[in-house]
Amino acid sequence: MTPDGSTPKTAEMPSDELLDPRSTPVRRPTPGPAAGAGGASGTDPPPGKQAYAVRLEHLRAFYGSAEQVKGVDLELHANQVTAIIGPSGCGKSTMIRCINRMHEEIPGARAEGRVLLDDANIYDSAVDVVAVRRAVGMIFQKPNPFPTMSIFDNVAAGIRLSGVGRGDLPRKVESALRGAGLWEEVKDRLGQPGIGLSGGQQQRLCIARSLAVDPEVLLMDEPCSALDPIATLKIEELIDELKRRVTIVIVTHNMQQAARVADRTAFMLSGELVEVGLTKQIFTNPVDSRTEEYVTGKFG
Amino acid sequence: MSTPARSSGSSASTLAAFAPSAARRRRDRTARGVIAALTALALVPLVLIVYYLLQKGVGSWSGSFFTSDPTGASFFKNVSIGGIRSAILGTIEMVAIASGIAVPVGIGVAIWLVEYGRTSRLASVVRFSVDVLTGVPSIVFGLFIYITLVVTDLLGRGLAGYKGALALSLLMLPVVIRSCEVILSLVPDSLRESALALGAPRWRVIGRIVLPTAIPGMITGILLAVARAAGETAPLLFTVGGANKLSFSPGGQMNALPLQIYNDILSPTTTVINRAWGAALTLVAMILVLNLIARLISRRSRLA
Amino acid sequence: MSLGSSASVHGIGRPHFQEELAGLEHATLGGIDLVLGQIDRTVEALRHQDVELASMVILDDDRIDGRYLEVHQGILSLLARQAPVAGDLRLVAALLHTIKHIERVGDQCVNICKLLPLCGNEPPTVPDVLELVLRMAVLARSEVAQSKLAFAQRDAALAEDLVRQDHQINTLQRDIFRRAIEIGEDPDIREWAMTMTLVARCIERIGDNAVDIGEQTAFVVTGLFREFSDSRGDGAA
Repeated sequence: MTPDGSTPKTAEMPSDELLDPRSTPVRRPTPGPAAGAGGASGTDPPPGKQAYAVRLEHLRAFYGSAEQVKGVDLELHANQVTAIIGPSGCGKSTMIRCINRMHEEIPGARAEGRVLLDDANIYDSAVDVVAVRRAVGMIFQKPNPFPTMSIFDNVAAGIRLSGVGRGDLPRKVESALRGAGLWEEVKDRLGQPGIGLSGGQQQRLCIARSLAVDPEVLLMDEPCSALDPIATLKIEELIDELKRRVTIVIVTHNMQQAARVADRTAFMLSGELVEVGLTKQIFTNPVDSRTEEYVTGKFG
Repeated sequence: MSTPARSSGSSASTLAAFAPSAARRRRDRTARGVIAALTALALVPLVLIVYYLLQKGVGSWSGSFFTSDPTGASFFKNVSIGGIRSAILGTIEMVAIASGIAVPVGIGVAIWLVEYGRTSRLASVVRFSVDVLTGVPSIVFGLFIYITLVVTDLLGRGLAGYKGALALSLLMLPVVIRSCEVILSLVPDSLRESALALGAPRWRVIGRIVLPTAIPGMITGILLAVARAAGETAPLLFTVGGANKLSFSPGGQMNALPLQIYNDILSPTTTVINRAWGAALTLVAMILVLNLIARLISRRSRLA
Repeated sequence: MSLGSSASVHGIGRPHFQEELAGLEHATLGGIDLVLGQIDRTVEALRHQDVELASMVILDDDRIDGRYLEVHQGILSLLARQAPVAGDLRLVAALLHTIKHIERVGDQCVNICKLLPLCGNEPPTVPDVLELVLRMAVLARSEVAQSKLAFAQRDAALAEDLVRQDHQINTLQRDIFRRAIEIGEDPDIREWAMTMTLVARCIERIGDNAVDIGEQTAFVVTGLFREFSDSRGDGAA
């Protein structure tokens, strides 16, 4: 109960609310022979690092002539988890696919506007799409480890496919698996096929695969929809860990999940961004009546 | 339709309420009988063919049958009525050359159709053309090569083994393209997506992810195309000219099993006719083995 | 941003949840009705020194405690099963606080009624002082009734107005206290006057609880909780 005088409702609490000690990033470790040794000894998770912030400026996305995302301006803070919620078809998946430029892989799809990754516009003509996708990883709704590959090869696949930093694969694979919270469960069977794991383990394998290329941002498109509650819980705990290293954007249908994992929540409706703010604000006292109606279940 | 009168409680009558009526059981039996009869009817020619082949062909099989040419020349001592060595080796060589042309080109076209062309107008045209080519009678391919290469002596004189191989490759090409395209499109898009999302250029996605997943299925399709090519006669008729002697050079005339059969079956000599049956049996056996290998490989495939 | 009475919101989704929430609000506000009845009878008992009526009030407090338990259980069950958020969550939190305040008002009525027999059956009364006490009680009653109206209508302005009435109650209480000090030498009268100051204290507490309910109303409406200024202090009326 904070005595708050007669301040009118706002979407943003005072800025000192943002300095939640849980989300304070650790500075990027200086490169050197001793750096990155987090995986080799003991069970320490990899160290945190300062990740990029992402800013969407008047982003519009089209399928042919149909406008699915209508001019979104959104800031995704570094080393924080931002959840995107909204009813089916509101454009949330389309929007995040613009952040790693996967949207344009669909025939007839295109995007306009700017997406700034640490102040660099990824839609600039000089930018290499492949490099963007290395920096911005993606986890999909259905876990999809490569079926012909072992666990080790799956995690190493990202490194091998992108052709970057092929040296010392075993250490990088172990580090990625530790980062995904999977190392202890699979360290004795790295040679077995990836598809032999349970659903929740497969999804963590996919997370390890994405972590292996050392991304700045991790996009998650309903990562727990296909999983049972225990596996879901493990991944949510993992997300809380991971934000020390990467900026996370998660699209979810499950509002309770958004409420549990996200620092900030954005509500989209029919391609527009209706409201964005601290999660606790959105779920206790949202500004827009449409947000109120959606989170209380009056539609959607 | 018999509906037993409702009575409460007794499980026997409840069971009877769920039982199919007598008329339905009759219809069921009739239908089953008809289908079984039709199946048997369809199997009859197959059984007869196999029976005849075995009966007439096995007798010709012998050591010298496989090791000597129709001319009589042999690995060992020469014999008077030769075997089909040159035909076997000729078939193998020509099919190998044909595959060497059709398989890489076919896979390439299939990859383009599935990975790059996709729904474009050009891809639709290509797919349609491939469908048409699948239905073209094999003799037309032979005639095409005959007119363009044999008559004109464009790339070498007269009948030649490689010209027959070309005709066979034209025959194989649509089959290879079709089956590879089907298998490649069975590779789930989610694999491509996740590979792309990791930051891989498209060619790497195809080479390291899509193809390894699709290879077992593609091999199956290719082997089936090879099996078909091995048995075709018409394309070889005007292009190869079945020389009886053993020749490894594709620049000249060669022998092939279908040609051997064609030539021998019209002979007045009984032993030669028997040789034809033996050759037919050999050809069927080879195709059978190829099919078995294809089936074994397809079991390992994770797609179809 | 007002949703109006939750009973009148007809959303497309979650009809059972909305019904259940409306039921809890109805039960809570019904508790205020129960407590208003208790206050009325307490006033009557005070006016006529009716010890029998007072003992009935004491016994009837069980009903209010029962209502408290009912609402409390209902809210826990709703929270566990339905995970309310935003406006619904604020309403649930407000109902939980409000039913507690209602239960306290009931307890204050009981305290007053327990004090009555101490005066004996025919106590010496000083009419002026009694008049002040009764006026306080009537004011407190109207405060509680107004708090119910404000909550039901989600009227934050009406809720804030409760502070004004509460100032009057505080003034009356100080008045009563002063007069009790100057009441004279008669020990029986002095004893009665002391009892009346205690009664006045209980009535003042009833008023405070009504203001607290008003604060909950403001919280539901605005989403911010703040204590209405000067509702407890010695500020000038």
